[in-house]
Amino acid sequence: MDAAVEITDLTKDFKTGIRGGWLRAVDRVSIRIEPGEVYGLIGPNGSGKSTTMKALLGLVAPTEGSCRIFGSDSLAVDSREKVGFLPENPYFYKHLSGAETLRFYGKLCGLGGRQLDERVTELLDLVDLAGARDRRLGGYSKGMLQRIGLAQALVQDPQLVILDEPTAGVDPVGSRQIRDLILELRGRGITVFLCSHLLEQVQEVCDRVGIIFRGKMVREGRLDELLAIEDETEIILRDADPALVGRIAELVAADGRASLTHTGKPRTTLERLFLEETRKREEARSSS
Amino acid sequence: MSGSRPRLLNPGRVGVIARHTFTQLVRMKVFYFLAAFALVLIGVQFLDLPVHHSPESTGVQLLFSIKSAATGTMTLFAVVLGVVATALLLPKDVEDRTLYTILAKPVPRLDYLAGKLLGVLSLIFVSLVIMDLLLVGVLAVKTNAVVAQQLAMADAEGWTAAMKANLEADTRQLGPTWSLQGAVLVVFLRAAVIASVALLLSTFSTSTLFTTVVGFMIYVAGFFQADARDFYFSGGEGMGMAGRIGSLLVAVVIPDLQIYNVIDSVIQGEVLEAVLLLKVVGVTAFYVLVYGFCSWLVFARKEI
Repeated sequence: MDAAVEITDLTKDFKTGIRGGWLRAVDRVSIRIEPGEVYGLIGPNGSGKSTTMKALLGLVAPTEGSCRIFGSDSLAVDSREKVGFLPENPYFYKHLSGAETLRFYGKLCGLGGRQLDERVTELLDLVDLAGARDRRLGGYSKGMLQRIGLAQALVQDPQLVILDEPTAGVDPVGSRQIRDLILELRGRGITVFLCSHLLEQVQEVCDRVGIIFRGKMVREGRLDELLAIEDETEIILRDADPALVGRIAELVAADGRASLTHTGKPRTTLERLFLEETRKREEARSSS
Repeated sequence: MSGSRPRLLNPGRVGVIARHTFTQLVRMKVFYFLAAFALVLIGVQFLDLPVHHSPESTGVQLLFSIKSAATGTMTLFAVVLGVVATALLLPKDVEDRTLYTILAKPVPRLDYLAGKLLGVLSLIFVSLVIMDLLLVGVLAVKTNAVVAQQLAMADAEGWTAAMKANLEADTRQLGPTWSLQGAVLVVFLRAAVIASVALLLSTFSTSTLFTTVVGFMIYVAGFFQADARDFYFSGGEGMGMAGRIGSLLVAVVIPDLQIYNVIDSVIQGEVLEAVLLLKVVGVTAFYVLVYGFCSWLVFARKEI
């Protein structure tokens, strides 16, 4: 079976000036993503993430190496039949409404008639923009733009979705919605290739990650394998009284080899706290 | 970059992009120019023209003025829109990153370019049709008024029926004729050439200002292209090698816009022969195809 994405020894050089200097943006990067996987490419700004994605979409030509999507050369237009793409900070056409935007992209993919109308309605519901379907994009918030961008990426029901910084500039609630959508895509068996420098988000949704730094892939693997600390074991207890914790500490001390490194209350993240509090206020307001 | 296997134009996809470009320009309120055109037509009728005392010259100057002002305004609109809209749309798509989302769909770059150009040309065409309808309406009313005035004067001077028939035929030749419709078509064809030049410029330029300025410079230079070509083929007497190379460059790179000057003859009441119009159509098709092909060659390899 063909891989959803197969990037082999991708190298991309850019000319930096009239005098002919060259900058190597991507240096022999190889990535293989199986169908149905969610893959995260992480790295600091300017590390080559977006260039890798552009090469995969055929927007820039590799200096060396190759990119294939479900077995097709990504420079071939046909390879994009199965791909949806959301660029970083997309603007789209401000003069179009949400529904018109999706209809435009749908028509570019060869959709039309009732099939397209139903798809537009379905996608607007999916990204929670049904209420803004006839509003022009010029009046959309940043989060709404990202969501309509995600909807246009999904318009032709692609098997691979490429997301470049999908939550950049979006508030935590919008960010959560986008992450939920990514998880929903994974549930439907759609392959997702996402790049971000927001590590916690990548950790939440990705099966595998690659770390790219100054154009080179420095680490790659399954997330649980990369994050596991091999010589430590985590036990989380609910409603345990201090005496029980004390007995556990004594048992560990008696072992002679193992040592107890930390006991205490696990912490939530600031983001989870924010989402929980805003959800409570929202529920209280709607019930009153 | 456009793909390893070349694809033929997909008319459906080109139509989608053209319709979108048309809508985009309409929503940028370019049709406001039609109000300016209507004002020009109204204004011309208040011109203080010299009074004539012979039937054959009465009112004729007014008809010339209406046609001249109308075709001049049409040319201004068509050329400005052809250059500015084409120069604006492509770099704007790159700047706003909407081009990424379009080319990330299965859209060949040739379809994108053809759609953009067709959208701009559709808008120019529709605008010219509306302006033409206004012009024909005003000109028909004014021609009838002038003919009535001339015939009344001829009656008073005791002209024969045959002389009056000739006078009426000559005057109606200055009114809304098929030649005038041909001249409006020539205005459109000239705009099509200059829009395709602007398209080529915008494929390698990232600056709208640069494309616009150079586009207008090429438009002006186009009226001297035939002179440069003649100069080159005549051997360039009195000029050095640099002069000959310069004239060759102008002759090869810049379109010959002198052939579109048939509009002036039509304003003077001359008949636009179908053969000449077909020649202009053929030359326009040649230029649009050549500049379009060159645009595709550049854009197909452009890294976005």
